[in-house]
Amino acid sequence: MTECRRLVVPLCWLSLLLAATLGMGQLEGLFRVIEPDSRQVIYDRAGFLTLLGRHLSVVGVAAVLAILIGVGAAIAVTRERGRDFLPLVSQLASMGQTFPPVAVLALAVPVLGFGTLPIIVALLLYGLLPIVRNTLAGILGIEASVREAARGMGMSSGQILRQVELPLAAPVILAGIRTSVTINIATAAIGATVGASNLGDPIISGIVNGNTAYVIQGALLIGLLAISVDSLFSRLPSPGGR
Amino acid sequence: MIDLIHVTKHFGDAVAVDDISLSVARGELCVLVGTSGCGKSTTLRMINRLIEHSEGEIHIDGQQIREFREESLRRRMGYAIQSTGLFPHWTVARNIGLVPRLLKWPAARIQARVEELMALLGLDLEEFADKYPHQLSGGQAQRVGVARALAADPDILLMDEPFGALDPLTREGLQEELRELQGRLEKTIVFVTHDMDEALRLADHLVVMHQGRIKQQGRPLELLREPADAFVESLLGGEGRGLKEAALLPVSQRMLPLGPRLLARERIGQQASLREALSLMLWRHAERLTVVDDDDLPVGELSLRRLVGVRSDD
Ligand SMILES: Nc1ncnc2c1ncn2[C@@H]1O[C@H](COP(=O)(O)OP(=O)(O)OP(=O)(O)O)[C@@H](O)[C@H]1O
Ligand SMILES: [Mg+2]
Repeated sequence: MTECRRLVVPLCWLSLLLAATLGMGQLEGLFRVIEPDSRQVIYDRAGFLTLLGRHLSVVGVAAVLAILIGVGAAIAVTRERGRDFLPLVSQLASMGQTFPPVAVLALAVPVLGFGTLPIIVALLLYGLLPIVRNTLAGILGIEASVREAARGMGMSSGQILRQVELPLAAPVILAGIRTSVTINIATAAIGATVGASNLGDPIISGIVNGNTAYVIQGALLIGLLAISVDSLFSRLPSPGGR
Repeated sequence: MIDLIHVTKHFGDAVAVDDISLSVARGELCVLVGTSGCGKSTTLRMINRLIEHSEGEIHIDGQQIREFREESLRRRMGYAIQSTGLFPHWTVARNIGLVPRLLKWPAARIQARVEELMALLGLDLEEFADKYPHQLSGGQAQRVGVARALAADPDILLMDEPFGALDPLTREGLQEELRELQGRLEKTIVFVTHDMDEALRLADHLVVMHQGRIKQQGRPLELLREPADAFVESLLGGEGRGLKEAALLPVSQRMLPLGPRLLARERIGQQASLREALSLMLWRHAERLTVVDDDDLPVGELSLRRLVGVRSDD
C-alpha cells in the first residue's frame, strides 16, 4: 500500500511524459501561435517516441558503463592494495567533469566517427565524477570502529565489502548515480550535433531552421524525462533498512 | 594459552609496543592497565592480527598466530571495543549473530544463541532484538557489543574498555557476569581498562604498561603490596592503595571466632570486602561487627583492630 503511494509522484511525471510524447501532434494549434510563419510546426523527421527511446538508450548505456567503471574504480582504490591510486582516481574523475562534453565530442568524432559512440563516450566521462566521488565518500565515510569490528570478528575483505561497506555506502552512491543520470539526460541533447539522433534533434534542427516550436518540443520532453527519472530515483527504497 | 615473546611494534619510526613478554594461562583473566597511549590497544590488536607485530613471536596454544588464516584466528577470539563498532544497518539480533553466521551455524541454533546472550546481558528480547544501534543508549550498545563478542562461544576474549560507557551499577553487574562466565566456561580473557578498581576486581593477572613497555605484572595483591617503582605505585592509587587492597580481601580472612562477649549490633556478610566492613564501621560509628553467613547466622566477629591488620586482638 505504502509501496504504491510512494510511486504516485514519479508515475504522474511519467504519464505526463508519455502523454506529451504521444500527443505532441494534438498541440499543433498551440505551436502555430508560437511559430505562425513556419509551414511545419510539429517536428516530424522522426517520431517523438523513437527519439525518446534512443535518448534513453544512449543515457542508459552511458550510465551503466559509468556505474560499472565509477563504482568499480572507487572500490578498487579503497582496498588496501589500491590505496596508492586514491588521489589519482579522484583527480581524474574531477577532470572528467571540468572537461566540457562538447570538447569531448569534438575530440571523439575524428576517432570514433559520427553517431552514438562519441556521445556515449562524452556522457560516460561526464557522468563518472559524481559516481566516483560519491562512492568514495560513502565508503571512506564509514566509521573506523565499524570496519575494525568487522575485521576483528573475522569477516573476509569480500564479506566486509558486500555486507558492510556497500550497504552502508549505498544511499550516497545512489545519490551520485542520480546526479549523474539526471545531468546526462540534459547533456545527451548535444549528441544531435554529431548525428546521434535523440531528443536533441528537434532542438538542434529548431535552432538551425529558426523554428522555436521544434526547440520547445525537444526541451519539453527532455525536461519531463529528467524530472521523471529524478523522481523515480528519489523514491528508490534505500537499502540498509534505515 | 596466549604467549607474547619479546614482541615489538613500530609505526614508522615510533615504537608503540617495546619488547614485551607476557603469558596468559588458559582460563586466566589478564588485565592491561596504563596511561593513555602506552600501547594497550596495540597489544590487544596484535593478538588477533588487526595489527601485525614487527618483532618477536605471538603464540596461541603454542602455535604462532601467523600460521593461522587471519579470519579463522579472529573467529575463535571474541573482540569487544569501547566504541562497539556495531553495524548501523543491522538489527541488534543480527549484529549479535554475526560470528555464528560467519561460521555457518544453522539458523535455529543462531536464533537460540542470540536469545540466550540477550538474556545473559539483560537485554529484553521483545524490546531490543529488532532495534537498530542508533536506537540504543551507549550502555545498551556496549552490552550488544559484548554479546556479539561472546556469540560463537570463543575460548579467547579480547576486550578493549568494553564497559567504558556504563553506569557504575550496570558495570559492576557485568564485571561480576564476566568473572562468573570466565570461571564457569574457562575463558581466557585479555581485558584493557582505565578504571583501576575494575582492573583490580577482575584481574587474575595484572599488567601495568608505560610507554610501550611492561613495568610490572603479577597478581593484583602482589602489585599493590610490592609495586616495582614509583610509577606503578602511583598508578595503583598511591596512598589510596590501602583501600584498594581492602576491597580485594574478604571479611572472612580477618574475622575471629565468636567470643564470649555480646554480639555487636551491626552485621556484615562474610563474603563482603574489608573495605565494605570499614565503611560500615565509619558510617555506624562501630568498632566491632558481627560477621554472618549467607543465612544471616553469626559465624564470627570483626574488630577495627583486626580489620586494619593488628595481629593480637585486645
Ligand atoms: N595505526 C597507527 N598508526 C600509527 N601510530 C599508532 C597507530 N595505532 C596506535 N598508534 C600509536 O601507538 C601508541 C599506542 O597506542 P594504543 O592505541 O595502543 O594506546 P592505548 O594504550 O590503547 O591508549 P588509550 O588508553 O588512550 O586507548 C600511541 O602513541 C599511538 O599514537
Ligand atoms: Mg586504547
